Amino acid sequence: MKESLMDIICCPMDKHDLELEVDDRNDEEVLAGTLVCTECGERYPIEDGIPNLLPPDMRD
Amino acid sequence: MGVLENKARARLFYKYLSKVYDRVNPFVWNEEMRAEALSLLDIEPGDRVLDVGCGTGFGTEGLLQYTDDVHGLDQSAHQMEKAFRKFGKRGSVRFYRGDAERLPFKDGSFDLVWSSGSIEYWPNPVAALRELRRVVKPGGQVLVVGPDYPKSTVMQRLADAIMLFYDEAEADRMFAEAGFVEVEHHIQQARPGSPRAITTVARAPEA
Repeated sequence: MKESLMDIICCPMDKHDLELEVDDRNDEEVLAGTLVCTECGERYPIEDGIPNLLPPDMRD
Repeated sequence: MGVLENKARARLFYKYLSKVYDRVNPFVWNEEMRAEALSLLDIEPGDRVLDVGCGTGFGTEGLLQYTDDVHGLDQSAHQMEKAFRKFGKRGSVRFYRGDAERLPFKDGSFDLVWSSGSIEYWPNPVAALRELRRVVKPGGQVLVVGPDYPKSTVMQRLADAIMLFYDEAEADRMFAEAGFVEVEHHIQQARPGSPRAITTVARAPEA
């Protein structure tokens, strides 16, 4: 996930801003990490560079 | 409870269907119909476009003919595997897992929103349409392709039992309820006798 996408993504539940926690990255992308809602605290994983922004009730 | 059950079923159905999807797809929704749908839109090079329920990436491919800035969202990673193979998992297309009814994007993030062959799997289509309107810029276009309601009674019963089909009147009602203006419908068909797709182009109101 490119960090510039932080400008457009938000929490799917309450639409508040997300905070990015990076676990692994290369020059262009965040490969692994977590997106945390600044309002409700819900955590969304970044899996192999793809942000999983499914609401918690729809996760596998 | 019912809603969640339906969503889980839709996910399983998609998982199964993704194996044959691109093979079956051309009979319902082919490149010609996609080109026709794209011609209904005002996409400028550089426009940021969202493909909701991008699935195997058939619509995404068409959108890339118009702009480089295409974003694909789908609930199923399994369904997107084909799209990853076509465009690269971290190539020019940006992919997200997400729910059409609860989009993870800020208001007015996109110049245009596209969704082909996904609406019939949304348990609450009006809620999802509202979300499409919210994430497109004020005055921006939204295009939704869904299958038209079948003519034969047997097919209608089958359609009603497994998924949501709708006609122009129903589409008008849903898009109006979701807050769209300038709603128009185009019936598209691959060839006589094949299933017909209803393609709706609508505009979000100006701010």
